[in-house]
Amino acid sequence: MRISEHPILDLKRSSPVKFTFDGTEISAFDNETIAVALHAAGIRTLSHSVNKHRPRGLYCAIGNCSSCVMIVDGEANVKTCITLVQDGMVVESQKGKGNLQ
Amino acid sequence: MINIDLLVVGAGPAGLSAAIKAGNAGASVLVLERSHQLGGQLVKQTHMFFGSEKQYATHRGFEISDILLAELDKMENVTIQPHATVLAAYDDGIWTAEIEGQYQKIKPSAVVVATGASEKSLLFPGNDLPGIYGAGAVQTLMNQYGVKPANRVVMLGAGNIGLIVSYQLMQAGVEVIAVVEGSPTIGGYLVHASKLRRMGVPIFTSHTIKNAKGANTNGLESVTLWKLDENWQGISGSEFTYHVDALCIAVGLSPLSELLWQIGCKMTFSAPMGGYIPYRDKYMRTSQKGIYIAGDVGGVEEASSAMVSGQLAGISAAEYLGFEMPNMAAMKQDCLNQLASLRQGPKGAHIRAGIRQAEVSFE
Amino acid sequence: MLEKTGVPTETQIDSAFPNETRLNEGPVAVIECFQPIPCNPCAMACPRQAILPFADINDVPVMDNDKCNGCGLCVMKCPGLAIIVVDINWSETKALIKLPYEFRPLPQKGQILHALDREGHPIANAEVINVIVPANKTPVISIAVDKDLIKKVRNICIPEDNDSIVCRCSDITVADIQSFIAQGYTSVDELKRITRLGMGACQGRTCIPLVMRELSTALKKPISELTSGTHRPIVKSMKLGDVAAYGGKS
Repeated sequence: MRISEHPILDLKRSSPVKFTFDGTEISAFDNETIAVALHAAGIRTLSHSVNKHRPRGLYCAIGNCSSCVMIVDGEANVKTCITLVQDGMVVESQKGKGNLQ
Repeated sequence: MINIDLLVVGAGPAGLSAAIKAGNAGASVLVLERSHQLGGQLVKQTHMFFGSEKQYATHRGFEISDILLAELDKMENVTIQPHATVLAAYDDGIWTAEIEGQYQKIKPSAVVVATGASEKSLLFPGNDLPGIYGAGAVQTLMNQYGVKPANRVVMLGAGNIGLIVSYQLMQAGVEVIAVVEGSPTIGGYLVHASKLRRMGVPIFTSHTIKNAKGANTNGLESVTLWKLDENWQGISGSEFTYHVDALCIAVGLSPLSELLWQIGCKMTFSAPMGGYIPYRDKYMRTSQKGIYIAGDVGGVEEASSAMVSGQLAGISAAEYLGFEMPNMAAMKQDCLNQLASLRQGPKGAHIRAGIRQAEVSFE
Repeated sequence: MLEKTGVPTETQIDSAFPNETRLNEGPVAVIECFQPIPCNPCAMACPRQAILPFADINDVPVMDNDKCNGCGLCVMKCPGLAIIVVDINWSETKALIKLPYEFRPLPQKGQILHALDREGHPIANAEVINVIVPANKTPVISIAVDKDLIKKVRNICIPEDNDSIVCRCSDITVADIQSFIAQGYTSVDELKRITRLGMGACQGRTCIPLVMRELSTALKKPISELTSGTHRPIVKSMKLGDVAAYGGKS
């Protein structure tokens, strides 16, 4: 959920964009990362661990951990917490370690 | 190959401050920053800073970031490069980085490493469920992107980060159910603790998390807490459970020192400073000639100290490179005085101990 | 104690307040900063040097209460939000407290809020007298509270609209009743005239006891000292036709 009013911050949203997550269309703003946009849309399971297939969500949000890797426009293992959304992007859940293109 | 006088790794408060001073002295400076956003953790800080005027006290963190960046904007000899991750440092003085998707080699004459610190984690069953965040992650969500991280949160850790982020969560409209602290006393500034208490948030000292539970699809649904005895062991029968959709972990930071290890800096382990820290002289030089440190990579402190240690490292590196400024000695002394006074109080005792352990003189 | 709970002890609070003579002389800042930390903006903020200049940045602030005029500049400059201003003689019955409040929505002038103690418990109602929103985004809210509460009140919260129904016949909520009491409708009869409660089909059987409890709490009077209002005829509803038919017979 996006915050509409904040006591300290003047929250500026930039241009609206749309991308798809596992086929579902998601609305976002173009200065948001993929993980943030998914979070705003109520999606917080971003990946599953490689061996035990445990669900994982945003954890560090600054590209330090592996919790948020997804397939973005066909490329596996993209850290979605530090990758900005773009209009028309295709984001998919990743199963396993991902494949080389 | 990029040839440059000074490479600064990290555009947080320490790195930016170092770049300003070295840039003022006339050095050509390249600042590399992994994120697309400059300012490091400053950009997520919505509270008024402590310290004194020299460290921008009463300004909010994100405003301080703007102030530093505006100053750097005027300097033609300083380049700040976002989307640039430093990858390695080699014995022959070559540093490599991925800059906007391109692999690059850099040959700097001196380096200020200002990589900061990363959040420590905690062991408990269920600790990898979606909905369990480092405290910095919820700050990123709500303060950088304006997204509400959750509805009901328990915070683990009553240090300054745990207390401040709890307050910021409430400002974002999140209900903070409790702050839980393993130690018998609150570690952060007590004025921060009092702010939360008078908003009705309980702080449980000598308590910790026993486990976290949730469904596969939705992530975290509940946390069970329990009381700790004098030996930090959970007391069976003291458990209580909260239904929450998020848990934040704020149990301290650990210096990001990999590059220093690679370049062969002599290191020492300091628990109060968060982990392995480099030996340094009082002007921020490491055991390697030309390699300086600034900010939390030298031991975890507050952002105010990070800015001052960054200035000091910037001046020292410029001096090493042969650049001169009229009052260099006085400027360095002023930094030393500021650091001494920021660390002087009872809350600085552990930092003073860490510095005593790591501060040496080379040559 | 403070280090374990985050709540200052009574002794600490007493030590932060000036003596009664000074309190009676006019508004004054009260600084609850008990721990030496590297922070000095309060002393820098005071144009009258009522917060004595620090020898060291870790000093705990010390007040010269005679120099303080309660302007409140320090309230909005303290990064720890540790300062309030107290004016015990603001009116005959009420003291004024200025406190920092960094949340949304902002309270409105004239609004009735919950006054909270240092543990966040609501302990009284408070009227908002003034709201100042400075450029640095730490608003200062002035509230009027009973004089005996100056050492207890430390925060405010905007009461959630309590939509519990008091009067089923006319759909009047407890929030409506509380607001009218705060505006000065302080008897059952006055509330009846302004809201129509007690004038519906039940003739006050459900609502009057609830209203009396609200009045008792707000006015701090035992229910035994209140009256349940005038009980006019008729006490139960009946058909107008029955009355008309009776008239026809006579």
